[in-house]
Amino acid sequence: MNTALNVFYPTSISPPAAAAPTQVPILSLRAIRRSFMLGQTSIDALQSISLDIHPGEFLAVWGPSGSGKSSLMNIIGLIDKPSEGEVVFNGQTIHSMNDDDLTEFRSHNIGFVFQNFNLVPVLSALENVMLPLQIQGIPDAKARERALSALIDVGLERFQGSLPDKLSGGQRQRVAIARALVINPKLVIADEPTANLDSENSRMVVELMRTMNRLRKVTFVFTTHDPRLLEHVDRKILLCDGNIANDKVESQHEFL
Amino acid sequence: MNFFNLALRGLARNRRRSMATLLAIAFGFAAITLFAGYTHNVYSGLARQSIHGELIGHLTLSKRGMKREGKLNPERYLMTAAELTAVSKLLYQEPHVRFVAPRLALNGLISNGRASTIFIAEGIEPLAMKTLQEGLITAREVSAGVPLSFIKKLDPAHDDVVELSAGLVDLLHLSIGAQASVLTSTLSGQANAADMTVGGQFNTGNAGSNDKFAYVPLAFARSLLDAEGRADRLTILLDDSNQTEVTRTRLQQKLHAAGFDVEIQTWQELSDFYQQVHNMFDMIFGFIFSIVLTVVLISVANSMSMTVIERTREIGTLRAIGLKQRGVVRLFTTEAMLLSVSGCGTGFLIALGVQFGINAAHISYIPPNSVSAVPLLVDMDSVRIVLTLLLMVVIGTGAAYMPARRASKKIIIDALAYV
Repeated sequence: MNTALNVFYPTSISPPAAAAPTQVPILSLRAIRRSFMLGQTSIDALQSISLDIHPGEFLAVWGPSGSGKSSLMNIIGLIDKPSEGEVVFNGQTIHSMNDDDLTEFRSHNIGFVFQNFNLVPVLSALENVMLPLQIQGIPDAKARERALSALIDVGLERFQGSLPDKLSGGQRQRVAIARALVINPKLVIADEPTANLDSENSRMVVELMRTMNRLRKVTFVFTTHDPRLLEHVDRKILLCDGNIANDKVESQHEFL
Repeated sequence: MNFFNLALRGLARNRRRSMATLLAIAFGFAAITLFAGYTHNVYSGLARQSIHGELIGHLTLSKRGMKREGKLNPERYLMTAAELTAVSKLLYQEPHVRFVAPRLALNGLISNGRASTIFIAEGIEPLAMKTLQEGLITAREVSAGVPLSFIKKLDPAHDDVVELSAGLVDLLHLSIGAQASVLTSTLSGQANAADMTVGGQFNTGNAGSNDKFAYVPLAFARSLLDAEGRADRLTILLDDSNQTEVTRTRLQQKLHAAGFDVEIQTWQELSDFYQQVHNMFDMIFGFIFSIVLTVVLISVANSMSMTVIERTREIGTLRAIGLKQRGVVRLFTTEAMLLSVSGCGTGFLIALGVQFGINAAHISYIPPNSVSAVPLLVDMDSVRIVLTLLLMVVIGTGAAYMPARRASKKIIIDALAYV
């Protein structure tokens, strides 16, 4: 294990709280259909998806290419709206929100981790992490303080002044995770967060997400193709042809 | 969100493109600044030439109708000595009136004893001529080669010593100190002649009048016209050209209230040449200005369109993490604004350098319809510089609005998937 990350795995960490079915879901999808026009043809990327995501879950969505993983993640992340169905986030129906309200809502509730990191190349690691806070209108000094704290959490305080192109892929993704977590989100969406990383960095990134999930009780939903990562989630949802083929809550896992 | 910082970093992202756009703005701004500076110098020179060189002063006061009917009925429209005294007294009560000079125009024939030709003359007191010409040539123009012989002089000790235009001296083969005769009509229509001595010569600056114009002492003019103590107008010199219009209005009201039916014209109204040149240069300036603004508009719009395309995924990311549509617009318009301001700043420095070079080079040229060379000097017209800066920044920022708005309307998932 990378020594820089040792700090995240104190032996005193309690086991993750299993998703309790009785809990009020953080996100509910009801009969979601998402179709796209491909030329003259309408393609249903999601057919009729219903699921609840509970607070504190560490959930993986997996399945073959074209199964609808990204479409589902976009809807869970509130950056896309379904063609049909209802999305309820924390008891609030999303359908009626206009673009500004939805954007504002996302900025306070949802963190994003992207496959390609999507860091702003001209901003340092610290400035990238400050960005969501500045968008919220938090003063620079306060944003800097919180961003630095987030960078410390992901073990990158030494690289706070580095531009993304001076960081390794794993480091960039950790900066992206810090950026996602700095707003204290209720939900973090990670679309293929390890797809561009080697196995060691993939493991580190998933460990980091898992630790944050445990320490902060942040709900993580991520997509992956990597079967090794699926061994370490609380719940995995298999998508096939736009439908949930399997939704399985796993028993508690030992850490990686 | 610190849009300024993010925009500044954004500009540094594609330095070559930002630099190309910045230089387009800079050279456009420099071109406008230099042309505005040149026209400012020309306007200022023409204004000084009109007010001080042509001895028009800032304001000219005459009896109402003098300009139209004065030649047909001079007796009626000339001001009497009593009127001149009373009006002058009122004029001097005005705070900006520095000097008042009675004037008397005449014309007739001038002869060297063998040949004669027509002449047009202005009767003016020698002291008034000296005072009106103060400020005609600036120190910078003297250093740029403008001769002091431009200053016209009448001899206060001799009423029959006159200044003739260079073309007239040449036409009659006269020289300084030579004798000539003039023939004119008195107010009552009688022929009247007198001898005079050529005291000096001058250029009118205009080919059309340089072979017929003369300045004569006011006493000489009055004697020739048999108009003792009278004048056809009063030339008023102010201590501040900017007060011309205000003073005109005040004087009109004041003189009207005092029972004088007079009209007052400003130097701009009397100097057709100034107006024509002003209009022509304004037209050219507008033409150049519109071309430069078009270049700026296209450059910035093109640059920002490419920037928006290149940063599509970044826009998607920013939108996903909470930047509203208007935030995206603000981000890119801030970039364009910074680019425009930087371009104008660079352009100003370029203009300063070129201005220094031009002014130090002592370049001169002969303007159309002129008989003498004038120095090519460039001023800094601060009013137009500020207006140009504001307009270019507004245009530059506005040019980014459409691409920025287009960017803000991008569907987030499409933007994130952009490769």
